[in-house]
This record gives sequence, structure tokens and C-alpha cells, in this order.
Amino acid sequence: MSLWSLSVGASASVSSVASDSGNVAAQRLIDIGFRKGQTVSCLLQPGFGAPRVFALGNATYSLDKETADLVILTDDRPS
Amino acid sequence: MKNVLLVGAPNSGKSALFNRLTGLQHKVANYPGITIDVGSGALRSDPRAQVWDFPGTYSLNAISGEEELAIDALRSALADERPAVVAMVLDATRLEKGLTYCLQVAREAARSKKPFLVLLNMMDILEHNKLVLDLDGLRASLGVPVLPVSARTGDGVEAAEVALVSASATQSPWADTPDALIEGSAQQIADRFVPQGELLVRRQAKIDNWLLGTASGGVAFVVIMTLFFQAIFTWSAPLMDGVEAFILGLGAWLVPLVPEGIFADFFEDAVFGGLGAFLVFVPQIFVLTLIIGALEDSGYLARAALICHRPLSYFGLSGKSFVPLLSGVACAIPAIYAARTMSSRQERLMTYVAIPLMPCSARLPVYALLITVLIPDTTAFGGLVGWQGLVMSGIYFFGIVSALIVAAVASRLGESESRKQAFILELPAYRTPNVWPIIHASVNRAGHFIQKAGSIIFTVTVVVWFLGYFPNGGEDLSASWLATLGIWIQPIFEPLGLDWRYGVAILASFLAREVFVGTLGTIFGIENADDDPAPLAERITESGLTAASGAALVVFFTIALQCVSTVALLARESKSTGFAMRLLLSYLVLAWIAAFAVHGLVSLF
Ligand SMILES: Nc1nc2c(ncn2[C@@H]2O[C@H](COP(=O)(O)OP(=O)(O)O)[C@@H](O)[C@H]2O)c(=O)[nH]1
Ligand SMILES: [Mg+2]
Repeated sequence: MSLWSLSVGASASVSSVASDSGNVAAQRLIDIGFRKGQTVSCLLQPGFGAPRVFALGNATYSLDKETADLVILTDDRPS
Repeated sequence: MKNVLLVGAPNSGKSALFNRLTGLQHKVANYPGITIDVGSGALRSDPRAQVWDFPGTYSLNAISGEEELAIDALRSALADERPAVVAMVLDATRLEKGLTYCLQVAREAARSKKPFLVLLNMMDILEHNKLVLDLDGLRASLGVPVLPVSARTGDGVEAAEVALVSASATQSPWADTPDALIEGSAQQIADRFVPQGELLVRRQAKIDNWLLGTASGGVAFVVIMTLFFQAIFTWSAPLMDGVEAFILGLGAWLVPLVPEGIFADFFEDAVFGGLGAFLVFVPQIFVLTLIIGALEDSGYLARAALICHRPLSYFGLSGKSFVPLLSGVACAIPAIYAARTMSSRQERLMTYVAIPLMPCSARLPVYALLITVLIPDTTAFGGLVGWQGLVMSGIYFFGIVSALIVAAVASRLGESESRKQAFILELPAYRTPNVWPIIHASVNRAGHFIQKAGSIIFTVTVVVWFLGYFPNGGEDLSASWLATLGIWIQPIFEPLGLDWRYGVAILASFLAREVFVGTLGTIFGIENADDDPAPLAERITESGLTAASGAALVVFFTIALQCVSTVALLARESKSTGFAMRLLLSYLVLAWIAAFAVHGLVSLF
């Protein structure tokens, strides 16, 4: 499942970041720490399809659907 | 001479540290990617060292034009022969986000034999929250000096200065590390040393629940934006009255001191009539910059970008266009620079298309003048809202809406159906705005306007005065050289119901919009040679400007791209003179047509 489908308050660990054909967004995600084994959680899902807010370590990022879908998570893990 | 290169991720506090190290006042902002040029200044404790504040980047792999510029600048600084020390600023509370970049730069520094050290910033926040970070362990793992500092409190800054000056290149463990290993090491170090501070994220999330909630977030956004626009007018009103009274008083006192004749006329018409009419609006520009700065530094603007992402994407823009567009309410120049943070060229070009339509503060004097002339100073809804303020909000709204519509149309017309760009935005922590740098930036901006008044506007005013005063010594304006010129361009503005005096003022305002007010001030000053100094609005009212023509003028000014600096910067930033010229022409034609339509419409009533 992808990061976008993580529900609010849940966390999971990153399994991979789909870096197909040198996608710059994927590279950026990796550079800021979305790497295999890292725990990410979803903090907020503002309405109307707005970008969602995710926490990685102590930093928070807002990602839109296309970008969050690049991050593949391992199976759900209760937080 | 030694160079100190301050680098690091956006929002890690580079500019704040730069200000500490140099004693200068660079603009700090709580919005990722706000440093747009490499600022520099001498180190306070040792003026032989020059500190450089590089734009923030998350890694050496650039994803936007701004990052590319920053990275190129850094690479050439590293390649430079002269001695330099690289100081990587890391946010201790968000250590993980800067580590990859830290190691990448450590490697580049080692390869070019430049000393490298880490300034671990925001230690005050760790202390405040009683979080601990194993400094010695971090030093050992990084293999480079690590200096804990706080740009906010100044703690550790002196020790850092000493370390910066005395740093020398040593064996670096990173000199030959391949990319994959850098990523792995960054991860390991982050896992071991990042303070476990859920606490920090949680506090921020609580506020975000409100400000980004589906309903509450929308309401908050509307309230904040409404307050923003209201404040621009209500807060600055007393200041503006003060400046106006001062200028009129000064004029009344000084003009009689100058011997009658041409000099007195020049003083009264050009200096007090023209320049004075413009200076009245400087307080508004100051307040505007102040509020945007405070919003930015509080961390709210990044949230606003998030909220606006979806709505803006319908118009071919993105959430990252929000800050450029909002800055455009102050001035198109910083707005165009702010668009550098956008990674997609397509979205950036669309933002450039929209920016000139944003109601910039140079239009403010024009609107304010026309509103004073056309709209009675009365209140509605039992004194709750003033009509003048309401109309002003309406004009602003009109400008913003036309910016969005034009961007939407332009992006549909655009040839490339390029893939939608990724939206990745770090949400900075909420912070109490740092007052002094913001005030400083606002004073600078106001000062910039005054400087502009001193150069462009003054020059134009003098030229206009000269052409209007001669050849008959100010006796008859309609027989002056200026009138000859005005009557020549009359056919363009006649359909809008505007006589040659306005035509001349509009023509001059293509240099900069504010010139309009100064020029009219001068023209009416010559015409009313024997009167006491009077506010320009009064004189225009006496001259009998019709409502239809006034409305046409307002509409013309909302659309036309009357600003030489904007056109020049657009050409430079888009790397296309054709693009800038096309914008200039399209907006000119569009402005005239819209003004013509509005003139016809209002005339019906
Ligand atoms: N509490 C605290 N805030 C800081 C510190 N350094 C910077 N800030 C704040 O962090 C934000 C980003 O700072 P800025 O210097 O603009 O970051 P830059 O993007 O790296 O140049 C601003 O709101 C600063 O006031 C610090 O040491 N402690
Ligand atoms: Mg900065």
C-alpha cells in the first residue's frame, strides 16, 4: 500500500520509494529521509483532496497524492 | 581574506545565524526556500572573514531552478582557490532532514581541501523541551567539528566564530564515500542521534488540526486573509494622514520662503504637488510588508500554500504559487524572485503570468486617489464598513480573480501538457515571529520606495513639470508642450472619456505605476498656480472626472503591466524576452478593452 492510503494517526514503515526512470520527486523523498525501514505517520488529511501531512522523525511534510503514492509501505503496523 | 560559506537545508536558520555572525539584518522567514540571493557580510568578530548565506537546499540533487542556482553557486565557491570554510547549518530538532546534504557537502569540501564543520542550530528548542542530543557521539560519527548554537538566543555563537576563523582542512572520512554509502550513513546517524521528540511534532499537529482542518482551516484562512487586507488599510490610515499633514504643512511653510516666480512654481507644483502626492503612500507599503513578514515567520504561509494547492491547481498553478502571488500584493519584484522555489517550469511560467495582475502596492496610490475622488466617505451597515474600504477590497478582489482567470486560460493555451509536478513542502514549526528582522525588512522596502521616488518619480515629475510649464511660464497649461504631446496621444484615451492630462499621466506611468499620481499632482499643480497647496484628490474632483472614466482608469490600472522593472525581471527570470514582451503587449490590449467596456457600462447609469 502507498503512503497516501495511511489513515490519520497511523504509522507504518517504508518499504521502498518508487524511483522509476530518475523521477526527481522520488529522489528528493529519499534525500529528505523517506528510506526503507523508516517509520512515517499520517498526521492530517485536510478535506477536498488537499495534500496530506506526514511526519518523518521530527519533521513534517505535506505531500500531494501523486507524490505520496511514490512511497510504498510495508504492511500496516499498529502505532 | 577568508570566506565562510553557510549552507544547509531550508529553514534550518542560516539567515538567522548569518545575522548573528555579521550583525546585519537579513530577512529570516519561516517558509522553506526564502533566501533568494547569496547574501554576504563581514564576520563581526573578524572583518577579514566574509560570510556567505547560501540559499537552502535539501540535497545536491536539484529539483528546482532555485536549487540549481544555489548548488552551482556553492560548487563554484568550493572550486575557488581562495581559503574558505564550509559551515553546514543543521536544525538540531530536525536533524534527519539535513544529514544527507551534510554528508554530500562534507565530501565535496574534502575533495576541494576546504575545512568543513557543522553548526548545530536551534539548541534552545532542545533545551526548552528538555531533549538531549549526544553531541560527542555525533561528533565521532560525523568525524567533523560540531558546534551547538542558537541563532535565537545567541548561545554558542562566539565559540562558533572562533572555530570558523581557526578552522583548517583535516583528513575527512567522507572524501571518497560513494552516494549509496552516504545515504546509508545519513540514515544510521539519524537513527542513532535524532532526539526522540514526538513532543515537538505533536504540539505542532495540535495547531495544524485547527488551521488545516477541513472546516476550521477554511474559516481560518478566510479570516486571516480578510484581516490581512483590512489591516493594510486601517492600520496605515493614521500614518498616512500624518505624512500628508506633514507634507502639506511643510509646503505651506516653505513655499512662501522661496521668491515668487519660476522657482516657487517649481517647488510648489513639482516637489510638493508631484512627489508629495506619492510619499503619502509609503506607510501603507511599510505595513503591508510588515504583515506578510509576520505571517511568513509564524509558519502560517506554508500552511496556506497547502490549503491553496488544490484550488490553485485548477488554474494551472500550484500551492507553491501562493507565496509568490501573495508577495505580489506587495510588489511584483520579490514575487517573481519567490517563484524560483517552484520546480516545474510550466507552473512557474503560469505564476509569472499571474503575478503582474496581483494588486501590487504601486497601484495602491492610484486606487486610493481615485477612490477618494469617486466614492463618498460614508459608511454602510450601521457604520460597520466604510464604502471606500469596501470598494478597495473589491478592486483587490477583481485583480486577484483576473490573475487566476488569466493563468487558467494561459495554461490551457500552453502548448505542453506537461506532467503535473510533485508537491513536497516541509511544514515548518510554528514560531513567534522574530520582530526586528521583519521591521527591518519593512523599513527597507519603504526606503526602497522612497529611493524610487527620489530617482524615477522625481525625474519624471521634473520633466513633466518642465514640459507643462513652458513655453508660456505656467500661464496656460493647455498651450504647453505637454498639452501638444497629450493631444497627440488623445485618440487612445478619448474612448475612455479621459482627456490628455490623464493620457500623459498614464503614458508616464509605464515606467512605474506610482508615477501616475506624481504626474497628475504636477499637472494639476501647474493648472492651479495661484491656489494654496491642496490635496490632489480635491483638485481632481474640481476638474470633474466622471464616474465612468474613473472606473475605466481603475480597470486599466488593475490589468496593464506598467512597470519597467517587472518586465525586465520577467525577461531575465523566464530566460525569454519574447515571453515578457508578449505579456506586456497582451496586458496592454486587455487593459484597454476592459477599461473601454467598463466605461461603456458605467455610462449607461
Ligand atoms: N527557536 C529558534 N528559532 C530559530 C533559530 N534559528 C532560526 N530560527 C527561526 O527559524 C526560522 C527559519 O530561519 P531562517 O534563518 O530564515 O532559515 P533559513 O531558511 O535557513 O535561512 C525563522 O523563523 C527563525 O526565526 C534558533 O536557534 N532557535
Ligand atoms: Mg535564509
